[in-house]
Amino acid sequence: MISKTAIKHLKEKLGEKNVLHEKEDLLVLGYDSTPGVHHLPEVVVYPTSTEQVLAAMEIAAREGLPLVPRGSGTGLSGGSVPVRGGMVLTLTRMNRILEIDEENLTATMEPGVITLDLFNAVAAKGLFYPPDPGSQKISTIGGNVAENAGGLRGLKYGVTRDYVMGLKGILPDRSLITTGGKSVKDVAGYGFKDLLVGSEGTLGIITEVTVKLVPPPRDKRTFLAYFNDVRTAGEAVSRIIAARIIPSTMEIMDRVTINCVEDYVNIGLPRQMAALLLIEVDGHPAPVAEEAAEVRRVLEQVKAAEIHVAETAEQAASLAAARRTALSALARVSPTTLLEDATVPRSRLAETFGEIERLAAKFKLKVGTFGHAGDGNLHPTVLCDERNHDEMERAHAFYNELYEKVLDWGGTVSGEHGIGLAKKEYLARQIGAGGVKVMKRIKQSFDPEGILNPGKIFEDQDSGAEQHLEEGFRVSH
Amino acid sequence: MSHTDSLGNFRPKDAPEYEDVLQCMRCGFCLPTCPTYALTGRERSSPRGRVALARAVAEKKLEFTGAVKEEAFFCLDCRACTTACPSGVKAGEVMEVCRSQAHAFYPLGAMGKTFREFILQRMLVSPDLLEHSMLPTRLYQRLGLQWLVRHLGILKLGPDWMAKAEGMLPSLEKPLRPQLPEVVPAQGEKRGRVGFFLGCVMTLLYPQVSRQTVRVLSHQGYEVVTPKATKCCGAPHLSEGDRQTARELALFNLDLFLSQEVDWIVTDCAGCGAALKEYEEILAEDADHHRLALFRAKVRDISEFLAAEGLRTEGMKEVRRSVTYHEPCHLCHAQGISNQPRQLLKAIPGLELREMAESSWCCGSAATWGLKYSEESRQVLDRKLQNVTATKADILVTANPGCQLQLAWGVRQADMPQEVRHLMEILGEAIPD
Repeated sequence: MISKTAIKHLKEKLGEKNVLHEKEDLLVLGYDSTPGVHHLPEVVVYPTSTEQVLAAMEIAAREGLPLVPRGSGTGLSGGSVPVRGGMVLTLTRMNRILEIDEENLTATMEPGVITLDLFNAVAAKGLFYPPDPGSQKISTIGGNVAENAGGLRGLKYGVTRDYVMGLKGILPDRSLITTGGKSVKDVAGYGFKDLLVGSEGTLGIITEVTVKLVPPPRDKRTFLAYFNDVRTAGEAVSRIIAARIIPSTMEIMDRVTINCVEDYVNIGLPRQMAALLLIEVDGHPAPVAEEAAEVRRVLEQVKAAEIHVAETAEQAASLAAARRTALSALARVSPTTLLEDATVPRSRLAETFGEIERLAAKFKLKVGTFGHAGDGNLHPTVLCDERNHDEMERAHAFYNELYEKVLDWGGTVSGEHGIGLAKKEYLARQIGAGGVKVMKRIKQSFDPEGILNPGKIFEDQDSGAEQHLEEGFRVSH
Repeated sequence: MSHTDSLGNFRPKDAPEYEDVLQCMRCGFCLPTCPTYALTGRERSSPRGRVALARAVAEKKLEFTGAVKEEAFFCLDCRACTTACPSGVKAGEVMEVCRSQAHAFYPLGAMGKTFREFILQRMLVSPDLLEHSMLPTRLYQRLGLQWLVRHLGILKLGPDWMAKAEGMLPSLEKPLRPQLPEVVPAQGEKRGRVGFFLGCVMTLLYPQVSRQTVRVLSHQGYEVVTPKATKCCGAPHLSEGDRQTARELALFNLDLFLSQEVDWIVTDCAGCGAALKEYEEILAEDADHHRLALFRAKVRDISEFLAAEGLRTEGMKEVRRSVTYHEPCHLCHAQGISNQPRQLLKAIPGLELREMAESSWCCGSAATWGLKYSEESRQVLDRKLQNVTATKADILVTANPGCQLQLAWGVRQADMPQEVRHLMEILGEAIPD
């Protein structure tokens, strides 16, 4: 238990309202958006400056409390769930954009800045920040960096890592570090900036982020294509890529997802269609026109049931917004929504859809699938009820078999959500015992005492995170 | 309810449905839409946090603690989270139910109980009592006492909420209900028979608005029936967690309006409209499903009704003013009516509609919330007023008496030039006598 003195010290350093320890506050900060994982911290702090982060870390170290950094809690792999209790460090009140540097095309900010706010702030200066996780309206930049978030524009523009130029942070031994910066080229020593991106809060606490900005695309064309079966949609994706076109967005939704999204947005998506693809090409006007014509030709060739072109920017935006709601909208169907992040080389897309269908039938499960088809990143989502243990077992078996195939095909167990708690075992299968060993050594060199976000990504020395999980279930076995 | 209908630590009567809280998958889409989360940045004061608290009580991980009660009442019940939630979670309704639970767990003391029961179970259920209760206030205004009180600063001595409540009161006319004929005939070609649901706040504080509503309806070709016996819709009771009285009122109004043989039941109060449309849920176990469905099928907000039926615009007068429109939460979020009021405004010749930013962000009134949390309410209101100011419109239009009281008060306090009017006042202005 955290001592009264420690609470008092925290309040002195951070201010009364930035330190919460009532049970109700602990209860609502023991989860993120990952189903089935919930664990109470002992104290929650909301630092408003780097000095306060440091002060909180000092006090946690004195009390022997594990430290779990966190943003808005939209994560989907349990990365910010405090499985060993301790101190949750919520960085949402460090939310200032410090600088938008129009000469160097960078933006520097605190970690709690909301992704969409950054996007809008740079757009107001005629610049573009491309990464756009589905939860951009509420996810924080710090969380995006820690999880190396992907999103709807990953295909052409890449993921968060591709835009992080510099980081400031605090390591578990409370040393302040700076890695990277505004220089476009930088090969000074080990590139541990890239190690911190996607480290899921296990190596250091990020307190400042500098990202790269790019000029916005001048033109854009948005297509919506419907298909009578999912595999044809998968084929369309492969053929567009094979035609040497890299759209900025190529998103897929199956029938179950189309219906759930339509229930929410009411924009007239055709409920009877087996799948839809949302495709966007962008860039300079001349190539965009050419690429759009080519996309249309491929869609006609594979016999898409219907092809529509968004007529206005609003229409295009509303389609993208509808797609962003897919996961949450699937939650309408059943009490529990178990989602995965299976990612395959693009050429395997059609087969992956076949496999998902086959396994859903085999295990008698209702599955909705959507995702970033263009980069092979799919989110097969089992719609179930966590109170039905038999169904949960079948869901786990479903994912187990699916991941076997995904790994056989050279895919990955996580395209963008991270490993967190949910996929620890799958990670070992993907990278092997040797890979896990190296990762553990890296963790140890940053955090020899294992105080930072323990129990995540892989089992650490004094394993046993599982027995700390509350009753209920784990996402994976 | 499905196979697990454990209510956990909730009292069995009027507990949230476990299914409703399980439905939340904690995606966080509700967070940026929640005024109380914007104020505090505290997870438990967000829709996701509140639903998680309700779930913890249902799962016996938490008692129904004082903090749960606090959050239930701190929620504005603005339903912005309902609009934002792709999964269909109704956090506002779950909190309404928790308010009723709060009264079961934390009974008021004798004085408080008597006062609450007097207001909710005697005053608000009796239109006559309500109207008489306003008499002293009217006298107080007529005799110039209001001027004295406002200018001599006597109110600074009382608690904040009393000062604000006093400051919010508009200049009162006589209540509309006793003046309004039970049946007002249709003008021109008759298009149907409308039951007008006259809300308590409308008849007492904004009689001039509802007078216009009836006049517009009649001018548009509808025979308007306003049953004298109409009682409060029950919204204040739901808001205060008195679900039993709300049910009794709902049953009464249901019978009353179904006996009038009207084609529609129309109201000009967004709060009443939302409550009437939710009778189906409130009365699910107390009334005949068929009659509930029949009633629900007839209820319309005035803007929803006129937009759907088509406004007769021939002979309308020009109104050469610029307006901006604040969307009442109980219209846009609870009833999904957003476009229709704008459609009507655009149909008025000469009127210019200037959109404000965040038009559907709450004004901070929310029944008695604005009085209980006067400081927080002020902050929510300030955000709204800034957006109003930016439009430089002449008139601020809304469609709910609670919003109108709050906005008019805010505009006065901030010395802003805007008039604050109900949509039906503007429409009434365009319609010739």
